[in-house]
Amino acid sequence: MRWLPSLATAALAVLAPALAGAQTKIDFFFPVPVDGKLAREMTRLVKVYNDSQKDVSVTAVYTGSYDDTKLKAQAAASAGKPPAVVLMSANFVLDLKLSGDLISLEPMLKTDGTTRGQFLADFWPALHANATVDGELYAVPYQNSTPLLYYNKDHFKEAGLDPEKPPQTWAELVADAKKLTKGNGDSVERYGFGMPEGYDYMGWLMEALTMSNGGQYFNDEYGGEVYYDTPTMLGAAQFVEDLVFKHKVMQQGVVEAGGVSTNFLAGKTSMVLLSTGSLSFVRDNMKAAYGVAFVPRNVRNAVPIGGGSLVMFKGLNDEQKQAGWKFIKWLTSAETLAGWSRFTGYFAPRKSSYDLPEMKDFIAKNPDAKVALEQLPYAKPWFATYQTVAVRKALEDEMQAVLNGKKKAPQAIKDAQRNADALMKPYVDQTALKLP
Amino acid sequence: MSSIATGAPPLDDLRPVRRLARRRLGRRALPFILLTPSLLLLAAFTYLPVVRVIWDSLHEQIHGSRESLFVGLKNYIGLFSDAAFLQSVVNNLLYAATTVPISMALGLLFALALQHSSRFNSVMRALLLFPSMVPLVAAASLFFFIFLPGVGLFDYYLAKIGLRGANWLGNPDIALWSLVGITVWKNAGYYMLFYLAGLQTMPGEVLEAATIDGANGWQRLRHIIVPLLAPTTAFVLVIALINALTQVDHVIVLTKGGPSNATKLVLYYIFEQAAENFAAGKAAAASVLSVGFLLALSVVSLKTMERGSHAAS
Repeated sequence: MRWLPSLATAALAVLAPALAGAQTKIDFFFPVPVDGKLAREMTRLVKVYNDSQKDVSVTAVYTGSYDDTKLKAQAAASAGKPPAVVLMSANFVLDLKLSGDLISLEPMLKTDGTTRGQFLADFWPALHANATVDGELYAVPYQNSTPLLYYNKDHFKEAGLDPEKPPQTWAELVADAKKLTKGNGDSVERYGFGMPEGYDYMGWLMEALTMSNGGQYFNDEYGGEVYYDTPTMLGAAQFVEDLVFKHKVMQQGVVEAGGVSTNFLAGKTSMVLLSTGSLSFVRDNMKAAYGVAFVPRNVRNAVPIGGGSLVMFKGLNDEQKQAGWKFIKWLTSAETLAGWSRFTGYFAPRKSSYDLPEMKDFIAKNPDAKVALEQLPYAKPWFATYQTVAVRKALEDEMQAVLNGKKKAPQAIKDAQRNADALMKPYVDQTALKLP
Repeated sequence: MSSIATGAPPLDDLRPVRRLARRRLGRRALPFILLTPSLLLLAAFTYLPVVRVIWDSLHEQIHGSRESLFVGLKNYIGLFSDAAFLQSVVNNLLYAATTVPISMALGLLFALALQHSSRFNSVMRALLLFPSMVPLVAAASLFFFIFLPGVGLFDYYLAKIGLRGANWLGNPDIALWSLVGITVWKNAGYYMLFYLAGLQTMPGEVLEAATIDGANGWQRLRHIIVPLLAPTTAFVLVIALINALTQVDHVIVLTKGGPSNATKLVLYYIFEQAAENFAAGKAAAASVLSVGFLLALSVVSLKTMERGSHAAS
C-alpha cells in the first residue's frame, strides 16, 4: 500500500484549488431550441468561463425547450433554489416580471457606475423593448433572430425568373409565387410559397406581415394592448387568406415549421419564410442553390426580433447576485457573442461584435448571413403582453381557421381581438382602467 | 397454551389471555408496520399532492400579484364557461369513443387469429406488439414525417394507388382522426396481449362440447368465447379508458392542441392553463375533475370486474 500516500497527495492537489477561497456556486439554466450540438457548445463555453477565474463556479443545466426552461426555473425558484441566470425566451420576460419571478438589474448597473442607456447603447435598438419592463432593465439579450425569405434559385431559373432578384414587395411575391407554383387544378406538385403556421411561429410571422404592412401588432410599452382588429392586421390576414384561396400559391391548412423546411429542402416549395436561426440548418442540408432576402413589404420593411435573453430569478443572496451578474457580463461580451453567433446562426445582439475581424471574415464568406445582418436596422420588438402565450394563441387559432377556409379574414381578426381583450382584462382593470 | 388446549382456563390465571391479546394486537399492527414505507411514499407523492390540488382548485392566484384568494367553486364554474375547456372535453370524448372500441376490437381479432402457437404466429405477435414498445413520444415524432402533407410517406403511398392525400395534421376536420389512428396503431397490439392471455385460460372442453353440439365458428365466438373473456374485456376497457385520458405526448409533439383547438385533449388543456396561462386554479380544478372521473371509473369497473369474474367462474 505504498501508493496510498501518493494517491492522497494527488487527490489533495486536485481538490485544493476548489477548497481554497470562498467560491460562489451558481446555476445557469439554458434551453436549446434548435439542436444538440448547441448544448455541447454551451457546456464548453461555461467550462472556459469557470477555468478563466476562481471567484464564480457556474453549473450549466440543460433544461430542454424555452417552455420547459420557464417551467423548470419557476419550479426551482418556488422550491427555494432559484437559478442565478436563465436564458429565457425574450417575450416571456414581461409575464415573468409581472408574476414577480425576476429581479431588476438596475442595482447592478448602479454598482457598475453605468446607466441603462449606456449599457444598452451597444445593443441593436429593436432589442431594447424586450429587455426592459416599466422602464427598468430585466434582461440582457443573448441570441436573436428575425424572419427571412428563403428561395430556391434553381426554381427561379426554371420559371424564367431572375435568381438574383427575389421579390421585394407583396405584389412581386404573389407574381413570382404564381409562376413558381406547378400543377394543374387541385393537384399541386409544387407550391410557390409557404410559411410555418403552427403555434408560436404563426404569431411571429403575423407580426412580421402586419409590421410590413405598416402596423404594430402590440403596444410595446404597455402589456394590455394588442392591435388585432386594425386595417394593417386586416391586410396581413387577408393577404394570407388570398395566398391560399385566391392566388392558390400556398398549401391549404396548417403546416408546421418542420414541414415547411422539409418541403423547401425537398424542392416542393419554392419560397418560404423561416427564422434566421434556420440559416445554418439550410446551409448544411440544401442541395439546390438557394438565396435569402428581406421579408417582402407592402408598406414598409419591418420584421420582429425573436430569441432569448439572460434573466436573474428572485430569491438569490447578494453573493449569488454578484456572481450571476459577472457571468452575464462575460457571456454578453462582444467576443463571446460573436463566437456564439458564428456557431449557431443567431445574430449577435451587440453591434460591436460585427467590428471584430473574425466576424468580418465570416460575413464576407457567408453572403446569406450578410442579408440577415442588413435586415436588422428594420427590426422591431417581439410581442410581449400580459398572458403573452394565450393572447398570441387568440390570433393564431383564428388564423388557422382562415387557412382552413373556415373563417374569412375580417371576421377572424374581430374574434381574435375580442378574445385577446378578454384575456388581458384583469391586467387592464388593474392598470390603465384603475382610475382615481 | 396447555390451558387453552383444555378449553377451560382457570379464572384466576389471566396471563395466557393477556399474552393472546398482546399477540393479537401484534398481529393487527404487523400489516401496518409492513405497509408504513409504502404508505409514507404514497402520502408524500400521491395523497398530499391530491389534497394540494383540491386546495389549489378552490383558490385563485391573480397573475401579476402574489396573493392567493379563496374563491370557492369559481374555478369550476369558470371551466364550464370556457369554450376551450368544453371543446377539449368533447374532443376527449370523441377520442375515447373511437380509440377504445377500435383498438380493443383489433386486439381481440389479432388474439383470435394468433392464439395457436406456431413459428409464424409468434413472429406476427412480436410484429403486432412492436408499436406498443415504442415510446409514444418517439412514435409521434415518426408520424410527424409520415403525415407530412405532400412529401410524407403516407401521401407517397396514397399517390401510388392514385389517391390524393390530405393535410393530416393541419386540417381541424382531420387532425383528431390522425391522432386516433396513431393511438389505435400503438395500443391494439398491447390489448392483444391481454386477450391472448385470456384465451390461454379458456377451458377447452366447453368449446369442444359446443363444437360437438354443432355450434359454428361465429356462434362459438358470440356465445362462448366473448362471454368467457368478459373479465379480460373489463380489465382492458379500464386500461384503454385511462390511456385515453392520461396520454398526451402525441398531442404535444404533433399539434399542440391545434389547429384551432381541434386536437386539444383535457390533459393538454390542463398543461396549457398551468404552464402557459398562469392559471393554476383553473388547471387544478380541471385536474380534480379528471382525477375524480378516473377514480369513479376505476371503482365502477373494478366492481363489475369482480362480478364478471364470479359469473365466469
